[in-house]
Amino acid sequence: MQRTIPLALCLGFGIFMIIQFFIPHPVSNAAYDIVLKWIRLITIFALVLGVGSLSMHHTTKIRRKITGWQYSIVTIIGVIVTAVIGLVGGVGRGSGLQVIFQNIFIPVNATMFSILAFYMASAAYRAFRARTKEATILLIAAFIVMLGMVPIGSAISKRLPELAEWILTVPNTAAKRGIIFGLALGSIATSLKIILGIERGWLGGGRQ
Amino acid sequence: MNSAHITLAQIIWIWIGAFLTFCIFSFLYKDNPLYRFAEHLFVGVSVGYSISISYHNVLYPDLIVPLFKHGQLLNIIPLLFGLCYFARFIPQVSWLIRLPMGLVLGFGAGASIPATLQASIIKQIQGAVLTPNIFKHWDFFVWALITFIGLICVVTYFYFSKERNKVTKLVAEGGVIFLMVGFGASFGYTVMARISLLIGRFQFLLRDWLHIIK
Amino acid sequence: MKFFEILGKIDRKIIFIILAVVVIIPLIKPFGLISKASSRAQSVFDAVDAIPAGKPLMISIDFDPASMPELYPMLTAILRHAFAKDVKVVVLGLWLTGMGLGEQALATVSQEYNKEYGKDYVFLGWKSGILPVVLGMGEDIKKAYPADNYGTPLESIPMMQSIKNYRDIPFFISLSAGSAGYETWIAYAQSRYGLKIGAGVTAVSAADAYPYLQTGQLTGLLGGMKGASEYEFLVKQKGYTNQFSPASQAMDAQSLGHLLILILIVLGNIGYFFTRHSSRKEQQ
Repeated sequence: MQRTIPLALCLGFGIFMIIQFFIPHPVSNAAYDIVLKWIRLITIFALVLGVGSLSMHHTTKIRRKITGWQYSIVTIIGVIVTAVIGLVGGVGRGSGLQVIFQNIFIPVNATMFSILAFYMASAAYRAFRARTKEATILLIAAFIVMLGMVPIGSAISKRLPELAEWILTVPNTAAKRGIIFGLALGSIATSLKIILGIERGWLGGGRQ
Repeated sequence: MNSAHITLAQIIWIWIGAFLTFCIFSFLYKDNPLYRFAEHLFVGVSVGYSISISYHNVLYPDLIVPLFKHGQLLNIIPLLFGLCYFARFIPQVSWLIRLPMGLVLGFGAGASIPATLQASIIKQIQGAVLTPNIFKHWDFFVWALITFIGLICVVTYFYFSKERNKVTKLVAEGGVIFLMVGFGASFGYTVMARISLLIGRFQFLLRDWLHIIK
Repeated sequence: MKFFEILGKIDRKIIFIILAVVVIIPLIKPFGLISKASSRAQSVFDAVDAIPAGKPLMISIDFDPASMPELYPMLTAILRHAFAKDVKVVVLGLWLTGMGLGEQALATVSQEYNKEYGKDYVFLGWKSGILPVVLGMGEDIKKAYPADNYGTPLESIPMMQSIKNYRDIPFFISLSAGSAGYETWIAYAQSRYGLKIGAGVTAVSAADAYPYLQTGQLTGLLGGMKGASEYEFLVKQKGYTNQFSPASQAMDAQSLGHLLILILIVLGNIGYFFTRHSSRKEQQ
């Protein structure tokens, strides 16, 4: 029962969604509306898992004084203060939540990803070697696109942007389309396996 | 930013933003307490932000108001399913979490099959074989032909269910060349992306914080 | 020979400093390289330009502050274009952490054109689940979004009276940094409801979008900061705005940054090949 009911739910809703795509009947549409609303409401509770796991992890660190436990206090305070300000003050224009978002969230989030530029420059210098013919082809294509896609490319030669455009429109499209096919077929196969209960990894462990 | 309208509070917040920016940049030298502080603060703030948005945008208007203010009792069903997520923290009934997971997975898998077939297979095949443009000019036809040949080569490369003979080996090698060109194009664009992100941060520091650039 | 070996062993902190300098200098002292618009950006621009005054443009914010330098300038440029043409704007998003950016952009740009909330633009905010939102709006936007981002019932918002579902949206733009993004909108909104979609994407995923461009599933594409600068150029060229264009300002720094990466790759390869050559010689 502990595995049968979830598998039955998965099968039922999976088949319903596939069939519903082809049936525009009012009864089908009404059921479709209800299902969409339910899924929207159910998925919001998944946030509970994330918040709960995070809180447990950091409170355990603080309680057991594991290395770096002081930073866990910062995290917990951050969660509580932001959540209280947001829940009480709302999400509207000029709200406390928006101020925190603009002045704490944006700087940290944006900077974290911006430092990738430095590591990419270092990696390009150290690791990007034209050792094989495939690597050389990749390098040449990268060079042309890198120059062709910025204004300095057209300053060097008017042909560069055209060549970069050709690379993107012809061989790149062919390659990416092949990858799209592969991913799409794999995704359909996996979806079918999940619906039919062949793929059961999501059920987790347990005796039954 | 028009300097005439900047308040003291805004100036303080900009300095806080600049400080946090440098805390993260300090990781380039080495891992240090300032970076750790900023990182943990970010995790806390992002979770708190998610909780606030989730409540105001979803829980309150879509569940609390319809169920408790308008008496739409059918909403009890998704509420009960959603509450099953809490079972994760109670070992005796932790299996209940499989109920909403099964429902959501089945829904997602079922919805994705016709959508993926339509958008990623049928439409892409149409694009590979038939586009109105290819008959407009001789070079459009040539490029479309090369794209089609490239597609066949790439798909052949990804076919591993049978051992390759001389012909399929040659075709697969052609596929590798197309893939390398595609990855090279992606790398070129990725360089642009990473540098753009760095430029964005420097624009903030030079414009909003130091007012060196306008 | 030793010189070429040293070329392959530059300390990474020196590379970091050189990159920072190469990016900062053109921001302070620009040398004015002009970014012309590509046909892809022109297609997005023309599609927005073709929306009659009073009809809606829908924009989905499918990115977070990590991709802000690339996609936020696109958002503001598109908003300026729409507001200048008196096109109504409906903004929503599939990424929870992008909602603050939508709020910021709408607050800034609506003031420039004296646009009124509820009459000229609406911010629907974020809903959980992704697929129920994308699919639900194909039937009835008010069922997918009973209220806007601020809790106001959609039924009481004037501009939403005439907008029921995707059939009332002439053009839709997804500004996406990954999954869920333009591919989700194409797969679920376009394949089922025929929504006309344009996309602004981060440069990382720009190359992946070309197959959709070629089939016509995407009406135009803005790729990375270059794409943003192209759209800013088009909007300014037509006289829709004279506001500061951050992406266009960045193109000089972008160009030099690319040149530096190319030089580093060449230097690294020169150092590698000479090191390999000398070690082979020593073995012989």
